[in-house]
Amino acid sequence: MTATTVQNYTLVITGAPYSSQAPQTALLFAKAAVAAGHTVDRVFLYGDGVHLASSLSSPPSDESHWADQWGNFLSDNDIPGVACIASALRRGLIDESEQKRYELPASNLREPFIIAGLGEWVEGTMASSRVLYFHAGD
Amino acid sequence: MSTLIVIDQPPYGAWAGREALDMAFSLAAFDQPVALLFTGAGVNWLRKSQETMGIEQKSVERNLSAAPVFGVEAIYADATACALYGLVPDSMVAGVAIAESSAEVIRQHSHTAFAG
Repeated sequence: MTATTVQNYTLVITGAPYSSQAPQTALLFAKAAVAAGHTVDRVFLYGDGVHLASSLSSPPSDESHWADQWGNFLSDNDIPGVACIASALRRGLIDESEQKRYELPASNLREPFIIAGLGEWVEGTMASSRVLYFHAGD
Repeated sequence: MSTLIVIDQPPYGAWAGREALDMAFSLAAFDQPVALLFTGAGVNWLRKSQETMGIEQKSVERNLSAAPVFGVEAIYADATACALYGLVPDSMVAGVAIAESSAEVIRQHSHTAFAG
């Protein structure tokens, strides 16, 4: 393999923003990969990583807003961002259809993220040439 | 392509192992070859007769017993970690292969993944 081989990445983020650096490291990697001509097939949020998809995250204005930065990057590059449904429901990350299904008082999934099953991760492992995991590191 | 899911966290007090098991079952459900490697404190998953009533958690032993049903091809336990935690075959659930070299097990798979 040469340095110029174009890769198609699936990125898996399992570390939460503001308690780990995983979302930030993954975003910097994704931007560098796209800038170098590689593609990102999808981003899959698993475990505590689903907190990245919260529309209610409100860090102080002089800190980086990782949910917004990730959301904007995904929208600008037309990359699907998927939060694992089992991880999300346990941790209170809810879209409108799950809100209705479980009769919850609110939903809080930030666009363009969607909620779906682990099958999305399995598909990513099959469709991509590389799967990279960004963990909390604890 | 075969995937090795590695569980290196204890069964109780951490959640990543349960999510790792879900990853393995999900691969198997899509007919993708998958095996499990327990290492470090993760080998405690393999202890026989776990009783979890007192901590109000589901027993991971029961979850793990579904692995062959789902089609998980093999369950490996790192030999050094087993020795460290005093696990011998008699004190472990059935169907576990003791791996003298985890590195060799990892080499036999094209992908390796942790849940966290």
